[in-house]
Amino acid sequence: MVGEADFRVILGVIGADCHAVGNKIIKSVLEPLGINVVNLGVMVSQDEFIDAAIETGADAILVSSIYGHGEIDCAGFRGRCIERGLPDILLYVGGNLVIGKVDFSDVENLFKTMGFDRVFPPSVDLHVVAALLKTDILQREGRRQEIIDYSDVRRAG
Amino acid sequence: MSDTSLNDLSDTKLDYSVYVRERDTVLVTWHTGRDVDFARGVARHRDMPDSKKFSVALAKAEHDQRTLLQPRAGVALLREHTKLLNDLSPYCDVLPTTVDAYTRHNRYEEAQQGIDRSRAAGKSLLNGFPPVNHGVSGCEQLVDSVSKPIQVRHGTPDARLMAEITLASGFSSFEGGGISYNIPYSKNVPLSRSIRHWQYCDRLVGLYEAEGVSINREPFGPLTGTLVPPFISHTVALLEGLLALRQGVRCITLGYGQAGNLAQDVAAMRSLRRLAHHYFALFGYGDYALSTVFHQWMGGFPENEAKAYSVIALGAAAAKFGGATKIIVKTPHEASGVPTMEANRAGLQATEQMINMVSDQGYLATNEIDQEVALIEREVHSVMARVIQLGQGNLARGVVLAFEAGVVDIPFAPATVNAGLMTPVRDNNGAIRIFDQGNIPLPDDVIALHRDKVAERATAEGRSASFSMVVDDVRAISASRLVGRPNPLPQSL
Repeated sequence: MVGEADFRVILGVIGADCHAVGNKIIKSVLEPLGINVVNLGVMVSQDEFIDAAIETGADAILVSSIYGHGEIDCAGFRGRCIERGLPDILLYVGGNLVIGKVDFSDVENLFKTMGFDRVFPPSVDLHVVAALLKTDILQREGRRQEIIDYSDVRRAG
Repeated sequence: MSDTSLNDLSDTKLDYSVYVRERDTVLVTWHTGRDVDFARGVARHRDMPDSKKFSVALAKAEHDQRTLLQPRAGVALLREHTKLLNDLSPYCDVLPTTVDAYTRHNRYEEAQQGIDRSRAAGKSLLNGFPPVNHGVSGCEQLVDSVSKPIQVRHGTPDARLMAEITLASGFSSFEGGGISYNIPYSKNVPLSRSIRHWQYCDRLVGLYEAEGVSINREPFGPLTGTLVPPFISHTVALLEGLLALRQGVRCITLGYGQAGNLAQDVAAMRSLRRLAHHYFALFGYGDYALSTVFHQWMGGFPENEAKAYSVIALGAAAAKFGGATKIIVKTPHEASGVPTMEANRAGLQATEQMINMVSDQGYLATNEIDQEVALIEREVHSVMARVIQLGQGNLARGVVLAFEAGVVDIPFAPATVNAGLMTPVRDNNGAIRIFDQGNIPLPDDVIALHRDKVAERATAEGRSASFSMVVDDVRAISASRLVGRPNPLPQSL
């Protein structure tokens, strides 16, 4: 079982984006809900997110982008996680992710194709994000537990 | 000079030989820098009709008490950007060129990838126009293809190359400053460095002025655009104005971002003008042209476009009642990021209607506005006195020390050089007050007034003031209110 204090996430605003307000607010809402937030602040590169995730053993990376370059900045993020040994880490992304007013379902499809597990518009309720995060982390932990149990069985056999 | 330490930071006019030596190092930072030709730039400005000069448009608006409209706009490719500006031109008075975020951080390689990918995608993947990559010839083509004054608007801590390229190309106004384009726009740039880099930009503008070419300079008023008390943004605007005047700048536009409470916003605009004349005279400057700019709401917008128009219109009313020379217009697409031309035009038209209706009314005088003016002026004098004292005759140094000490402190800023100890919150009428002053030096009775105003709201809402109240305020306008009230509301509200 995973305890309440074991939800650990990396938070940051990707690329050359310096919008700090939402970033500070996400941290201020998630932490009282029992999620341990390692906040890298603004202007974070893909590798900085991954470095922090490796160092802290985080369950998820929460990527924000509000300035419209999200599509360019997030390209290849899942591939980079796989290369760096984090194939299963949860990847969330949210904000104004593309240039201009685009139907959100199109944006969601685009980023899911890029390997993000969940995609959020800027208006999302952060309590909903926190609940999804916990569910997703517990599910992954459960699956990881099963894999470990199975290997134990094999060893025992 | 990219590693200016506090000890090297002076606020005297940069020696011409220092500027020239530095220029050689700036122009080689991207290949387009080699095409910069100052003499050719001066000639281009001299040959330009008055209808394309920012300084002339502002002086005329000041004289006629008109309020100029300006949108924000920028896309990756030259042809598309030119078309965008020409499509917007009939609906505004002065034109922008909003610069993309990679260029703002001198990441010209990534800007180039953005240009290439935009070309391949058939649409702009950048959030602005990259002037350094397009170079002098691209920027000249742009300036030659529009019929109104055009300004560079960005958010760049080191804008030296961008300034050299755009001013030589015929842009006649340049936004920014060493504080206002560092603290809200970067993470790890030392303040002494960005101030020094902006002294270079201002010195360059001063060189044009010395040739009889007036270039408008506009410190960025709204800062983080998030619950910034007027006295904070005014202090920064005044400091940047003084630093610019020192380098030879003569045409200055000081700015302020809409906070939301009408009395506070009108008072902020009126006090900004008075304070500027006061401090510019105090430092011995008489030969300058001052104007003001009001930014419509810079925080989160409602997604619903009809609701967004209300935010835009309230800003337009505050700007006009406050006597702004220029207004920077938002669009109904604000909640979704970069707007289309049509959305931008709609924002301009909504603003124009409100400006015209307010223009037909007389001067708005209320006790509340007068009280807010008096309050803002006392607050600014208190903070400015400390900055001047810290500088010991060197204002640039005073600014750096003031930020280190939290004497000047900008809420919600990304820069690590900002103390971030001051916490603002709205009062029961939606005016921005101080919840926690951090290290900002304010008179005791002023602090008591802020405390009483915040307490009044807390009582009305049946909860104590806390950071969650502040968070509610940050999201309030996008959730269709001004004040972040608790949900459900107490009966009294």
